[in-house]
Amino acid sequence: MADTIQVILIYTFVLGSLYLLISLGFSVVCGVLRVFHMGYGVTFVVAVYCMWMLMKEFHFGLVPAVIGMFVIQTLFTLGIIYFPVVKRYIEQEELLLTSLILISLIVEEAANFFYPVTAGVNLPTTILPGAVKIGPASIPIQMLIASGVAILTTAVFVLFLLKTRRGLVIRAVSQDTESAELMGANVGRVYALAMVLSVIPPTICILIIAPVWSIEPSLGLPLMMTSILVAILGGLGNIRGSIMASYIVGFLSSAVAFSINPRMMGLATLITVFIVLIFRPEGIAKSESLW
Amino acid sequence: MRIEHKRARLVFHIRDLKLEWAIEPRYWRNPLLAVAGLALLPLVIMSKPDYLTLLTTANIYAAVAIPLAWQMAGIGRMNFGPQFFVGIGGFAAALLSIHLGWNPWQTLGIVILLGLAFGLILSPLTTIAKGLYFSLITLILPLIFLEFTYVYTDIFKGETGLSGIVPLVNLGRIRTNYLVSCYFSLGMTLLSLYIVDKVLRSRIGLYAAAINDDEEVAETCGLNINGWKILCFTITSMMIAVTGWFAAHYYGTFAGITYLQLPFMVKILLIVMIGGRGELYGSIVGAYFVAFLEQALTILGPVNYIVFPFVLLVMLSTLREGLYGLYRRHKYREYYPTMRVRKR
Repeated sequence: MADTIQVILIYTFVLGSLYLLISLGFSVVCGVLRVFHMGYGVTFVVAVYCMWMLMKEFHFGLVPAVIGMFVIQTLFTLGIIYFPVVKRYIEQEELLLTSLILISLIVEEAANFFYPVTAGVNLPTTILPGAVKIGPASIPIQMLIASGVAILTTAVFVLFLLKTRRGLVIRAVSQDTESAELMGANVGRVYALAMVLSVIPPTICILIIAPVWSIEPSLGLPLMMTSILVAILGGLGNIRGSIMASYIVGFLSSAVAFSINPRMMGLATLITVFIVLIFRPEGIAKSESLW
Repeated sequence: MRIEHKRARLVFHIRDLKLEWAIEPRYWRNPLLAVAGLALLPLVIMSKPDYLTLLTTANIYAAVAIPLAWQMAGIGRMNFGPQFFVGIGGFAAALLSIHLGWNPWQTLGIVILLGLAFGLILSPLTTIAKGLYFSLITLILPLIFLEFTYVYTDIFKGETGLSGIVPLVNLGRIRTNYLVSCYFSLGMTLLSLYIVDKVLRSRIGLYAAAINDDEEVAETCGLNINGWKILCFTITSMMIAVTGWFAAHYYGTFAGITYLQLPFMVKILLIVMIGGRGELYGSIVGAYFVAFLEQALTILGPVNYIVFPFVLLVMLSTLREGLYGLYRRHKYREYYPTMRVRKR
């Protein structure tokens, strides 16, 4: 029993941190732009396949490929997602959602066309191979690194939002767009910045977990669903809520997996989110703003 | 029967029943031509069973999109999970057919009852959950059902789906079966369209528009908004469940992975948007267009999977009122509810 509890707690930390890193960008977009970013999953796909393309077709080394991929991610987010779609349809939700879904489909199918599953895409981003035994649990070191990076990335994001002037403006726009605009905030620029910031956590996440994750062109959808669930539970667009929600979902997943049935992991999370939506639709966080 | 001529209309009095027919052709010419075209299409392509399947699939999509249009107007919320009810209908029909050997007509009764029951049980959500939260709940519902099919895979065969369902039509010849099934699906879609069209043109449609515009104002005007929302959600849920019943008996297999996942809803959303942005008749136009475009683009080879969403994206940005908007230039009434993600 003690062993099971120990394993559950360890995996709560690992999975919770991972969920946090996956969903942080989604929460930022939800909190600042107040839109449901249905194209969020495409960030993971662009990260993996652009990096692979740069390394395989253009023979980039690991570090130049990572830098190149971040440049492509930024250009893609601004040039394909933000300016032509989000900015244009920000007041027309149905058009916005449908367009984002279609862009996701195009990118996913393009990835599948050029690098299908049989192409054997794998990123050499293993930092430390092997597994480490913590008490009764054996965990891949890469996952532990991902957990650490998740906490670090979140801390940097929070510090940026709380301690910098730019962060203050982002929070102001998140709290009340019109008032922030009256105070001189350039809302369009803040939106663009938020979109760029939103791609950083998922990109870092997929780079680190790629060696231990199933890499396929359709990997974006399940990761986006995880982000949506965490964001809903946390209170759409609130980072504080998202942090708590990530670890709650991590705890639920590991508790169900190790004490009931691993098949019921997803079901338990979905039912919890469903119940929260009915009885506390605003989620864990009371605030409607980013922090 | 007594026939009366009244204000450019013929009124047929059959005992207590009163039926009206507008004499001027502009009121009925185009719908009749459209129905005739839809009815002739299967005969034109009957030599190719795969095209008949294509038409049937388009009809299935339209039969989901049509009641969904009424539902979204009637409850004033966007439903992201109509496939939950497709799943209810499909799995109920499949399980009854496989385990009890029931024929499609026997399973239909149970599917209708289950559709109504689940619709009624879940209908309080339309009063509890507002705007975006309702959309999120409905987004999660089919996923819960899907996970349920994985956990209880011995019953639902989560990964592979149920097979061996009694076919809808079995007339001996495969081509005849396809043709009759295609007409069956068309009949189901047109019936659905007729019912929803009549409802939206009636006083109930006016209530739906009032609820969609502003619930508080509608309630202030004396409308029992909760009652109408529950009624609307329950009936439309049943209509969508019947589509699941049809799909299960038509294909002979039913898998949660096909119907309960997000891509199914994405297709419905695309059909609604490309057809006419929530316009009722646009659902049929959109369903046929999307189905045929997908098929036509296969001549491009594997690249068609990229071209297909690209074409739809271009259409979405150029045809603001959808394909149906090309025919009907003026927008009379906005029935499409917003999710209200943005703070006003």
